[in-house]
Amino acid sequence: MEEDEFLGEKTFQHYCAEFIKHSQQIGDGWEWRTSKDCSDGYMCKIHFQIKNGTVVSYPGTSTHVQTCLPMEEALELPLDDSEVTEATAATEVIKYEYHVLYSCSYQVPVLYFRASFLDGRPFSLKDIWEGVHECYKTRLQQGPWDTITQQEHPILGQPFFVLHPCKTNEFMTPVLKNSRKINRNVNYITSWLSIVGPVVGLNLPLSYARAASQNE
Amino acid sequence: MWCGPGLTSNFLRVGARGISGAPVDILLKAVGDTPIMKTKKWAVERTRTIQGLIDFIKKFLKLVASEQLFIYVNQSFAPSPDQEVGTLYECFGSDGKLVLHYCKSQAWG
Repeated sequence: MEEDEFLGEKTFQHYCAEFIKHSQQIGDGWEWRTSKDCSDGYMCKIHFQIKNGTVVSYPGTSTHVQTCLPMEEALELPLDDSEVTEATAATEVIKYEYHVLYSCSYQVPVLYFRASFLDGRPFSLKDIWEGVHECYKTRLQQGPWDTITQQEHPILGQPFFVLHPCKTNEFMTPVLKNSRKINRNVNYITSWLSIVGPVVGLNLPLSYARAASQNE
Repeated sequence: MWCGPGLTSNFLRVGARGISGAPVDILLKAVGDTPIMKTKKWAVERTRTIQGLIDFIKKFLKLVASEQLFIYVNQSFAPSPDQEVGTLYECFGSDGKLVLHYCKSQAWG
């Protein structure tokens, strides 16, 4: 049994900072937010998506709006209302919010997320399941309540869905151990998010993979 | 549907959505306790997705549904399931091949 790779909170914050640095370079929309007393913080991203999978921006709603287009297009997207006219039927555009927090009890990062329609109606768990990529559906359907739960956000105090962290070490340890063998410094957050993100509709552009390996 | 090792190089062409450029050479490496595939080198259509590769490896290794398989580039980053092998080869390939690590896990609960 391999020794688990635990993540300290300072290290968590360091990896988040590196991650956000790259996010800023490619306009991927992640930012760091601190709690009121600034003792802890989390990474946050908001993006908008049409239910059938096409992604558009919704200018004017928030300065935090970002799209999740392939990296080559992300920097060229015009934030122009006329570009999104066809896509703005209010009931069809969904706002996704992703938060990466640190769990002291599990000593791993945790993904909190929620989704809502533009008129404020929250997404149900069932709606979220429908957004889960096919290759994860079978497994998740076998025991959804073991994997995604609804909990109060530790800092905001609002209900969010949470991808349960109890198995995080199990899938992170082999990756980290393997990278150590060849002396490669791995950004834990980048690796972890690349694995868990797609399960809830969050896909990281490939450039994060190159950035992570360059931060020696 | 899935043939024996004798037809390895033609495997992953079956079911591909047409030929778009030459297939790419992939080298699959196991991570951790994951079983090692007897055949590690594959010629894969550029349009094959990561999800398609995952399904293929799971069948090849006879993994059960409750076992999750992850594929990594750069030994650290898991591309999205719908990412195409051709794109990954262009970004991360070297010496004429793309090295992908794969790892089995009971991750989801």
